[in-house]
Order: sequence, then structure tokens, then C-alpha cells
Amino acid sequence: MKYAKVYFEDVKVGDELPPLVKGPIEQIQLTRYAGASGDFNPIHQDDEFARAAGMGGVFAHGMLSMGFVAQATTDWAGAGTVRKLGVRFAALVRLKDVVTCRGRVLAKSSKDDVNLVELEVWAENQRGEKVVTGRATVALASRA
Amino acid sequence: MPIQGNRGVGGPEDAPFSVTLERGKIKEFARAIGDLNPFYLDDEVGAASEWGDIIAPPTFAVTFRDERAGAGALLRDLGVDIARVLHGEQEVEIVRQLTPGETYLCRTKVVDIYEKTGKSGPMAFVVRETAITDRTNEIVATMRHITVVRL
Repeated sequence: MKYAKVYFEDVKVGDELPPLVKGPIEQIQLTRYAGASGDFNPIHQDDEFARAAGMGGVFAHGMLSMGFVAQATTDWAGAGTVRKLGVRFAALVRLKDVVTCRGRVLAKSSKDDVNLVELEVWAENQRGEKVVTGRATVALASRA
Repeated sequence: MPIQGNRGVGGPEDAPFSVTLERGKIKEFARAIGDLNPFYLDDEVGAASEWGDIIAPPTFAVTFRDERAGAGALLRDLGVDIARVLHGEQEVEIVRQLTPGETYLCRTKVVDIYEKTGKSGPMAFVVRETAITDRTNEIVATMRHITVVRL
């Protein structure tokens, strides 16, 4: 049930988000993301340039992976629920990598009719290495 | 190659710049990520939503840049080669959803620069913060960017 609505009361600390699997990453997606985001750094497009820069070849924009993590969060919590998302780019995402985004509920709080859920979020590659680590805060509707 | 200090910490903000959010850019961005959420892509779903229109995905505001400054203005000011730059960390705080047709004002400043030596050698970390406000000067979103420069 994609885009189902999650209510604050139904969320428990320790709950896990459904994993979101993205990729395998193809060059065309990096080119498309460059156009959509305006980030035309050749290190994401031009393999020769990336090798000369000592990066061993092209790699994905960090912001693309953060977009994947945001999608995993909103697929679960709903569009427009994200109040805060902060990530660290822990490792490079390469062409052909499969990126799986995951998350887990860390805490819940309510104040002034705002119901907040704090999440640990991360993304890992096909070898289980974390490529993105972070935290998200989402505001959920109450059944009441 | 040390980071040039002419864009020092606590120095003046970059010139503020405004961005008018285009409907098609929101959709293009969502599709580039492969996020086909109808609240980003479907005008009818947006019109019937609590926001009255489609909204931008959470990371969209990071694409806001000063078109007049051209690409890489920050890097140029810092004396940094784009081939040596990595994105270290990114944070986005959303107060209100970004919707098409709205004009936003962005103000960015460098809040910290520090150097560390990691596994792959010495690196400089440039920390910037951006505040995004609407026409009525209300905060819509804030961002914190950490750019890593391989020295």
C-alpha cells in the first residue's frame, strides 16, 4: 500500500520503514538529476574527468541519494510530512550500485497539537555498506 | 592548497537572490529521483490537497541557486577546484511546503571553515547556512550544507 496514511497513534518506537530499493544506478539517471537540480559538476558525468580527479570514476550526486532517503520517508509518512531531514554522505554511490533506503522510529513527541516522530534513516549499497546516514523528523496527523 | 580566507567565517552574506518556483521544475526533479508521488506530480491531487497545489519534494530547496552568480561562484571565491569538492553533509528544515508560482528569497552565509585530516589526507570543511523566506518575510525553510574540499 504505497502512499498509505500513517497516523501518529499507530506508530511505535522501533517500527521500521518499508525498505525502498533504488537502482541499479545508471549514467542516464545522473545526467537527468544534473538537469533537474542544476548541479552539472562533471565528476558525476565524465568518467575521464572523475578519474583524473582521483575519484576512480563517476559517482552519484549525494543529493540524489538524499532524495532517495526522502522518498523512503515520505512513502511511509506521506508527502508534506517532513519537517527536518539531515544526512551525512558516508560513502560514494557508483554506477550499477543498488541503493536500499531504510529507517527506524527513534522517538515520538506531542506538543501544541503537533505530533512529531523522530527517525533514524540511512541508505546502504548492495554490499551492506552505509552510503548515507541521517535523521528525519516528520509531523503526523492524529486519529483524534 | 589552503582555502582562501576572502570569504571568511562570519563575513557578509552572499547577495540575497530570489527564485520563483516553476511547476515543471518540481515535476522534473521528482521524476529525476524516481519519486512518482502524486502530491509532487499530479495537479488535480495537489489542488485537492491541504496545500491547494502540488508541493516540492523535501530536498528540492537545495537546488535553489543564484542564476546571476553562475555555477561555482562559492568555489571560485574560495579558490577551490570543482574536481576536489565533495558533499559532506546536508540538512533541510521545512517550515512550510514550497508550492509553484511562489517567489522565495534565499540568503546564504558561511558559518564555519575548519580543516581535518582523514583517511584520504587533509580536507577542509566549509559550512554554509541558507534561510529561505517568502514574500511576507516569513521563514519557509532553512538549510545547512557542509562541503568537503580535498586539499
